[in-house]
Amino acid sequence: MNWVQLSVKEWQRRPLRTGITSAGVAIAVAALFSLVAFQRGYRAGVHQELDRLGAHILVVPKGCPFDAASIALHGANWPCYLKQSYLDEVRSVHGVATAAPCFMSAVYDEKGNEFVYVGVETNILSLKRGWKIAGAFPRANGELLIGSEAARRNHWRIGEPIQLPGLPDQRGKVAGIIAPTQGADDTFIYLGLADAQQRFKHPNELTHVLVRLSDPNQLDHAVTQLRGCDAGLAMNIVPLAHVYHTIQSLVNSTHLLLGCIAVVALLVAGSGVSNTILMAVTERTREIGVLRAIGASRGHVFRLIWMETIQVCISGAIVGMGLAFLASRGVEAWIRSKLPFAPTGTLIQWDWLIAAACLGCALVLGSVAGFLPAWRAAGVSPMTAIRASEGRA
Amino acid sequence: MKSSTLQNGLVISAVGLSRIYQRGREQVRALNEVTFDVHRGEYVAVVGPSGAGKSTLLNLIGCMDAPTSGKLELLGKPVAALTEQERTHFRREQIGFVFQHFGLLPALTVAENVMLPAFFAKRRSEQRTRELLEKVGLGHRASHRPHELSGGEMQRAAIARALINNPALLLADEPTGNLDQATGDSIITLFEQLNRDGLTIVVVTHNPTLARTACRQVELSDGRLVTPCGLQNNHTRCHSDET
Repeated sequence: MNWVQLSVKEWQRRPLRTGITSAGVAIAVAALFSLVAFQRGYRAGVHQELDRLGAHILVVPKGCPFDAASIALHGANWPCYLKQSYLDEVRSVHGVATAAPCFMSAVYDEKGNEFVYVGVETNILSLKRGWKIAGAFPRANGELLIGSEAARRNHWRIGEPIQLPGLPDQRGKVAGIIAPTQGADDTFIYLGLADAQQRFKHPNELTHVLVRLSDPNQLDHAVTQLRGCDAGLAMNIVPLAHVYHTIQSLVNSTHLLLGCIAVVALLVAGSGVSNTILMAVTERTREIGVLRAIGASRGHVFRLIWMETIQVCISGAIVGMGLAFLASRGVEAWIRSKLPFAPTGTLIQWDWLIAAACLGCALVLGSVAGFLPAWRAAGVSPMTAIRASEGRA
Repeated sequence: MKSSTLQNGLVISAVGLSRIYQRGREQVRALNEVTFDVHRGEYVAVVGPSGAGKSTLLNLIGCMDAPTSGKLELLGKPVAALTEQERTHFRREQIGFVFQHFGLLPALTVAENVMLPAFFAKRRSEQRTRELLEKVGLGHRASHRPHELSGGEMQRAAIARALINNPALLLADEPTGNLDQATGDSIITLFEQLNRDGLTIVVVTHNPTLARTACRQVELSDGRLVTPCGLQNNHTRCHSDET
């Protein structure tokens, strides 16, 4: 027999009450666990997604920079376009190592499936350093570079002539397939820039330009220069680091609010636990009196009740984290449907550190919630055992 | 230096013991100038009507309460001088308690209930638990829960628990109060057997059969000792060191 067994056995006596009390803690910890895991996943996802773009600056037509960043990252139709002549001005800015022009358009086939075509030049490869291409990069009109997921879904193979989905009567040939990147590139269909402009009837127009700097520390200087050039008034210069920080600060504000709700839920659960244990102590006054009479010190009784409370909180936390883990896919799908900008990776990313932190919270919660009942129990007089006999006699 | 109480083989030495409770503005004198001794190996029954002060006396000699006035020594130790912690330690090591309501923890098995006082004393007690359960006739019930036992069996388990730390004194509060006649008689027989083995027993009871089996009866009324100490000795049954 040891202290843990002793307190576990006590809780097994009233499984329903224990279950309900633990459930309160489980819900609060599940909320906290999901929130922290989401914050971690979202931050990592946004960072990874912007990093995959390979650019430091995004040059887009005038409009909301975040919408533009979202379209560039996930693929969609652009509401307006840049003149291709602006590209020379961008390239002439000091510190710009690569300026990769892109023309993006999204089309739908007869089944409603979306296909994103991106016209690029070969210099995109200096930005997409993580790409591993089986086959070749498109050199001529009609040649295509397919994202791994798009190739898999459509059963396309290298060298295979294909009917371009969503573009009736237009054909092309698979020149290469990009190995999985775990990003939006996996679903894109890349082709030559001029080819794309021609197919979508936007000659000499671009949707965006990806800019990589020779020295990322010169970002502010390069942005100032780009905004100050002749075409600066017609373009939106979006530093991706700023996009990252702005998205993060927006999400952090929401997280702060949700975090407050999770903390309130924890406090409510803690007060529920404390109240339940206080009730249990009142019900068990005679038993505690007997324990004191047969030799349990105040410290022993305090320890017993305190451990019972901590166990309820810890078991609730474990159940809560398990539930949060099981529900993570559903929660992620729901969050994704509500967020204006969600990265393609896993949004809810838990790790052992988060689990340990949640267990730590439960431990602190149990320690605080159990203090008053344990203190009260420790104050029960051993004479209670005799008084109870008198009452019955 | 050993106290005279210990040298005389006295387990309990009470002189002019009083306990006054404050109930609102009223003072209730639960115990009034009680003087009595219990020698090692004695079996003493404390009798008297309800409200006579029996439980108050039990609280005092069980180190659970302190007298308002008077002197109480247990095994040579003046109880008034002991701190709360020392009283708990003394109770755990030297006194075994048996309650009318048995006081077994329903969540624990019989064996675990018996082990509890030893657990609080940080002592391993599996072997002694088995021996004690055999002694009280519950060897086959060790893994049962209290609710699976009869009243007599629960009281036997409580007696085994009271003996686990090998106490010098067994205090019992109406041990047959919740039992039928036949079961109560079996508990009385067990007490007699324990006393024959040399255990000092003080039992508070209304049960005349139980009181008669004691070697001495101490009668209380209105907080006072009615029977002069030792007047109703049943020396043929007494196993004290004095005899």
